[in-house]
Amino acid sequence: MNTTVKTDEAVAQRSPRPVAPPRRGPRVSVPVGALSLLGGAVLWEIVARLWDVSFFPPLSAVLRRLGEMIADGEILGSLGNSLLNLLIGAVISVVLGVGVGLLMGAYKKVEQALDVYVYALLTAPSLVFAPIFFSIFGLGRASIVAVVVMYATFIVIINTASAIRSVPVSLIEMGRSFCATDWQVFRRIVIPAAMPLIMAGLRLGMGRAVKGMINGEMFIAAVGLGALVMDAGRRFDAETILAVLLVIIIVAVATMQLVQLLDRRVTRWLPSTARK
Amino acid sequence: MIEITGLCKTFPGSRDGEPIAALQDFTLTIEDNEFLTVLGPSGCGKTTLLRLIDGLMQWESGDIVIDGEPVRGPGPDRAMVFQSFALMPWASVLSNVTFGLELRGVPEAQRKAKAMELIEMVGLTGFEHRYPTALSGGMQQRVGLARALAVEPKVLLMDEPFGALDEQTRRLLQEELLQIWETRRTTVVFITHSMEEAVLLGDRVVLMSARPGRIEEIVPVPLPRPRSSHISSVEASPEFAEITTKLWNRLRDMQTSRRHRAAGVHGAGTPAEERTA
Repeated sequence: MNTTVKTDEAVAQRSPRPVAPPRRGPRVSVPVGALSLLGGAVLWEIVARLWDVSFFPPLSAVLRRLGEMIADGEILGSLGNSLLNLLIGAVISVVLGVGVGLLMGAYKKVEQALDVYVYALLTAPSLVFAPIFFSIFGLGRASIVAVVVMYATFIVIINTASAIRSVPVSLIEMGRSFCATDWQVFRRIVIPAAMPLIMAGLRLGMGRAVKGMINGEMFIAAVGLGALVMDAGRRFDAETILAVLLVIIIVAVATMQLVQLLDRRVTRWLPSTARK
Repeated sequence: MIEITGLCKTFPGSRDGEPIAALQDFTLTIEDNEFLTVLGPSGCGKTTLLRLIDGLMQWESGDIVIDGEPVRGPGPDRAMVFQSFALMPWASVLSNVTFGLELRGVPEAQRKAKAMELIEMVGLTGFEHRYPTALSGGMQQRVGLARALAVEPKVLLMDEPFGALDEQTRRLLQEELLQIWETRRTTVVFITHSMEEAVLLGDRVVLMSARPGRIEEIVPVPLPRPRSSHISSVEASPEFAEITTKLWNRLRDMQTSRRHRAAGVHGAGTPAEERTA
């Protein structure tokens, strides 16, 4: 609006010192997230107690079981195993996804060549490929990592490619006008401009990587958290299943938080209104 | 000195394949340290002309020679100020201003000192660590101007730089641009669609006709300099009114003859070559 521009101009003219941003008052902040979690926990407990079915134990029982599993080291060993699968898979997915995405975004020909495969593999249920991995990599970690990569990579590719394509042409032209080489344009303009969308792709990709990890562990090689779920399932041990599920959810949330942390560091310049 | 001779530039047509002539046989000489303004209806190829001088586009025939050097691409002797500002939103004001110097490998201390000098010149001291999105349009274009001046170009190319700004900001910036130009002379090619702006700033106004872009007329502006200290009285002077009236009459003639042509009526004053276009 005109008025804001005017006042900004006036400020710029009069005082060269930056004006301290208006303090965002510590309004009474309601921890909605925490309250919601608490509400969900209470609801779970009550519903499970009132509606007494065998595969829906109350939260307290699940937590007690979780405590036992932590105490006897069952969880920690499996968790370490799973996290390693996740980490290896995630690193490969990011490198592969961002790499292929950059190429697809930058070169029309590469995009035309790979587009159909990427979309096909993105929409195909990734577990379909489990038997193939199984026969190639055997019953070890490699198969699980392959499933993680299968789950996570394609969404990263698609986001990265569209991030590159959406870099404003005016900025690229600006760079060329200032005599930037192709590499300088890429490094100094295209990459930073594409960063917010690339990070959005990584967020989605990491969510899918956690899913891939569990599915891989459940259906290919019985290791890690997935194996615990499978075992408990065979014994119809609902408390253990839900206890492990809680751990999986924590892993998923922590992974997303990590990506978000990275995102905020890399795209600090984004105005807060542009964040979702 | 910029010597443009017989410059032709066509764009491929959108769908029917009929190519569009943006510039046809464009010939113009721009003197050293001249402030040249280019005025014309939208779509007349003014921006194309500027981008060709900057070396951002290829052309079919003709030459652009700057101080004896033919233009083959972007060069360190030219810098552009963009209509859309084209600032990097992820970089601070300071980093935006040093951008051109950084690409050239100027050492950090040196480019920082240079940038701070220019940031002060455009009145943005204290804002050097802000991001562009935190600035108003007028301040953003000041950053754009400082960035262009930082590389010390012989030729400053300005593509409707104040077109996206509101009236009072625009006037402020016109004044400041004149001030800056009066102290550190460079050749300026300034594209605008405002007659008043063209006359207020320029030594000469190049009036362009549309499709194909050609020079309709070159109008000298003999208003005394420096003008920055009293732009209001410059604009109130009878000479100013005389020149703008002349430009307006020409622009109006161009419009009406084009309308007549479109309607299939050849006005008495329509030159023969325009009829065939």
